[in-house]
Amino acid sequence: MIASHRPSEETLAAFAAGTLDEGLALVVAAHLEVSPESRRDLTEIEAVNGALLDMIEPEAMEADGETLLRGLPARITERLAPPVAPHDAAGLKVLAPYELGRWQTVGRGVALRRVTVPGSDARVFMLRAQPGTRLPAHRHTGAEWTTIVAGAYQHEYGRYAAGDFDEADERHAHTPVVDAIEGCTCIVALTGNVRFEGFFGRLLQPLVRL
Amino acid sequence: MSGALAIHIDLSAPRFRGPHRRAGAALVDANALIQSIAQSSDRQAFVKLFDHFAPRVKALLIRQGTPPDLAEELAQETLLMVWRKAALFDPSRAGASTWIAAIARNLRIDAARREKRSRLPEVFDIIQGEEPEQPDQVLSGSERDSRVRAALTNLSPDQLRVVQLAFMEGLSHQDVAKRLSIPLGTVKSRLRLAMARLRGVLEDLR
Repeated sequence: MIASHRPSEETLAAFAAGTLDEGLALVVAAHLEVSPESRRDLTEIEAVNGALLDMIEPEAMEADGETLLRGLPARITERLAPPVAPHDAAGLKVLAPYELGRWQTVGRGVALRRVTVPGSDARVFMLRAQPGTRLPAHRHTGAEWTTIVAGAYQHEYGRYAAGDFDEADERHAHTPVVDAIEGCTCIVALTGNVRFEGFFGRLLQPLVRL
Repeated sequence: MSGALAIHIDLSAPRFRGPHRRAGAALVDANALIQSIAQSSDRQAFVKLFDHFAPRVKALLIRQGTPPDLAEELAQETLLMVWRKAALFDPSRAGASTWIAAIARNLRIDAARREKRSRLPEVFDIIQGEEPEQPDQVLSGSERDSRVRAALTNLSPDQLRVVQLAFMEGLSHQDVAKRLSIPLGTVKSRLRLAMARLRGVLEDLR
């Protein structure tokens, strides 16, 4: 199996429609921030949504434009500014609207930092691993979506480097090995449960539950 | 003979059926209308945009599961947002329909998550703010929109239905299959064909 390292069209369509869980969507957004190719795909999907809007059978409005206009100021005074780039968001602009926890060491060579995403069913965190760390083998009952922020890791399905998106679900069991020189920093969203295998893995279990 | 033809046209025209009527449903100068609001607070332009887009945004929201009363309210809010944000509209990035569909989406997300404020609309804005791949293609956004519309107009009704569910409603392929009671493989092959058509018309813009 050749892993694509980019979100599927299905995933991007759900992202564009706003129907993805916000935690999962945030990990997709982190990838979109750094991938011009995926942004181009998103742009095309949004153009499809625009065309579908034009083609839809209209639904009669109760209000009319003239009436609505009377409530508006004679001139537009408001100039809405584009969003401002954030400060402490680990280099990711899309993290700016979210609260980030402190880095916490959770095992040899591994640190986690919680990302609070209100209303999400996923647990979202940043993970930083020292070069050569072997993360415990694990299986999922839900989704584990990851965007690599820096460095790289490798597992049974391929090598994932900065900017890559890794979409794993319950069909995947894997043992990621972190790049021996660069280490790895990534943002992860988990739904359902992760079951670690092996003794040390089980020690990590409560920590990843966050 | 010409009489029979005239009757045929009279009967079919008001129903907005058939590919040509659908393609014609696009408001020809929607981009210019938004720019006119930005430049001179053009109230006539607003009324024209409202008449075209508000009933469509309302229909879209209802299709996505929003109750009709809330859909009415959000359709109004969407058009008010068009008025307020007109100066941020950039037809080189996206055409009017695409821009307005994105505003409606953000308002729908906000409304659905009122008690726990969603940050996704901000996230969409941040991604939107990233440089496009080819920033020198001045016409590409609007041009892309009209080509996509033309390509969708040429899809078979079966293909279009699958595209609507997967894109407009954001359903997984599995859920599209369930909704239409057709095999998953059929959903995937219809989408693949539809996307191949789209890619074909967008090739030189990529």
